Amino acid sequence: MGSGLLLAGAFPFDAFAGPNKTRKLTVLHTNDVHSHLEPFGSDSGKYAGEGGVAQRAALIQAIRAQEEHVLLLDAGDIFQGTPYFNLYKGEPDIKAMSAMGYDASTMGNHDFDAGVEGFAKQLPHARFPIIIANYDFTRTALEGKTIPYTVIRKGDIKIGIFGLGIQLKGLVPDDAYGNTQYLEPLRIAQNMADKLRQKEQCDLVICLSHLGYRYDSRKVSDQVLAKETTGIDLIIGGHTHTFLERPTILKNKNGQEVIINQVGWAGLRLGRIDFLFDHKKNASFADAHSVVIGKQTIG
Amino acid sequence: MPLLPGSMIRHSVLKCLAVLLLLLAGCAQSPLHVSSHSEQWYPINQAQPADSSLTQLLRPYRQGVDTQMDVIIAHTDIPLTKAQPECRLGNFMADAMLLSAQKMDPKVVAAISNYGGIRVPYIAPGPITRGKLYELMPFDNMLTIVEIPGDTLQKFCEVIAHYRGWPVSGIRFVIDGKKAKDILIAGQPLNGGRIYKIAINDYIARGGDNCDFLRKLPTRFSSVFVRDALIHYAEDLEHQGKPLHPPLDNRIRYAE
Repeated sequence: MGSGLLLAGAFPFDAFAGPNKTRKLTVLHTNDVHSHLEPFGSDSGKYAGEGGVAQRAALIQAIRAQEEHVLLLDAGDIFQGTPYFNLYKGEPDIKAMSAMGYDASTMGNHDFDAGVEGFAKQLPHARFPIIIANYDFTRTALEGKTIPYTVIRKGDIKIGIFGLGIQLKGLVPDDAYGNTQYLEPLRIAQNMADKLRQKEQCDLVICLSHLGYRYDSRKVSDQVLAKETTGIDLIIGGHTHTFLERPTILKNKNGQEVIINQVGWAGLRLGRIDFLFDHKKNASFADAHSVVIGKQTIG
Repeated sequence: MPLLPGSMIRHSVLKCLAVLLLLLAGCAQSPLHVSSHSEQWYPINQAQPADSSLTQLLRPYRQGVDTQMDVIIAHTDIPLTKAQPECRLGNFMADAMLLSAQKMDPKVVAAISNYGGIRVPYIAPGPITRGKLYELMPFDNMLTIVEIPGDTLQKFCEVIAHYRGWPVSGIRFVIDGKKAKDILIAGQPLNGGRIYKIAINDYIARGGDNCDFLRKLPTRFSSVFVRDALIHYAEDLEHQGKPLHPPLDNRIRYAE
């Protein structure tokens, strides 16, 4: 029996551990790390000694040891910013993210800095998907190498994740993005959210966005995205290197809460959002005892 | 895994099937809902424990970076900061670009760079490594000379005013609201009918940062990295035994 109880977390059946059992999901996130694999040097003023991928990895491990269901996500601009990128073109960055167990990342504008080909070249080192719904990579080196969305199960929690990128023209040299087509993000976002909510029946919908937090102009941003759509619970943002002391919570088109978060840049911070879930209707199910036996039999 | 008696397995399989059915029905009728959420962030710094496998993963890359980048090439005797409308980091970049471009073409009168191209916020007084200048200018942007008619240069200054100030060298003006006023080019008032040779980077020459109006102008793309212009400028000072000390001289200032 003891081993059965220990295994309980690995199976969806722990939904039946009790009618009101609460499930917890921990979302950890970064954005705009910009090749800052090491802490800033002593000559870097206010950031001296801050950041560092080995320190981030140890922190993530410590959180994983405490929490059963952890998602680790990045909102793009992995590339460019230190000599590591000039010399190695993103190889150690992608390897480090794979080693830390990232579940997904989207693409930022600087991820085109070695061209579409340069990003594609590093993908064999990625043990996580690149998720981007509004770039069409047909007839580029990235064709078929990214996905618009994914669905991840953590216990019996079903999480849908899609990605959005910023307009490339004027921001990225034409020859760097080549045939990549940028598609208007709001329409795509609504399609994705509808698909993940209705078809995939996700309990939580997350958008990895490199659109930027907010603009004075009418340019689409995370704030516009949150207000002009429905079905998105959480926007993990990037691009504007915005340090949010706490997430911004806005109302979507249906008046429901959307959380926007962004943690600056350069891996100076790790963001964390914990979600608690329960069933709205407290249906009564089989008791915990039979679940454990059932699991042992299957196992 | 402990084995169960056969009868118990059968019993359990049945129970399991029942549970599965309930699970399917249950999921369709009552999906999970977020009942609450909480947020926090962690600072990351080198005082914290480091994961040894990541340190190991980085080691060979780090050695390569150290060999090429941990080389002191200059010294500064003053904090170099990033700010608008002007700053020492920006003035250093623009001055270095102007000098480098004038070596290619002595008729170049000024240099302009985009503020977003300054990629570190601060360099402390003391030694400056090659790697630090790679961080300051990580992009492989090329030094570019563009021939700009005076009236277009006026427009360019308006764009800079709109952005609240970019690094410039050989140019002075006042930002009044979103207007550029009292523009001086190499010490002379801007002449709308003249053509000026200006050093920029190829990113804005190709229309980046809302500089689309530059794309159709006669342009000479060089094979000199802007970063190398900065490195050579700093190295030359070092060879002369001088510190890097870019001035703050109100080349761009806000109207009172």
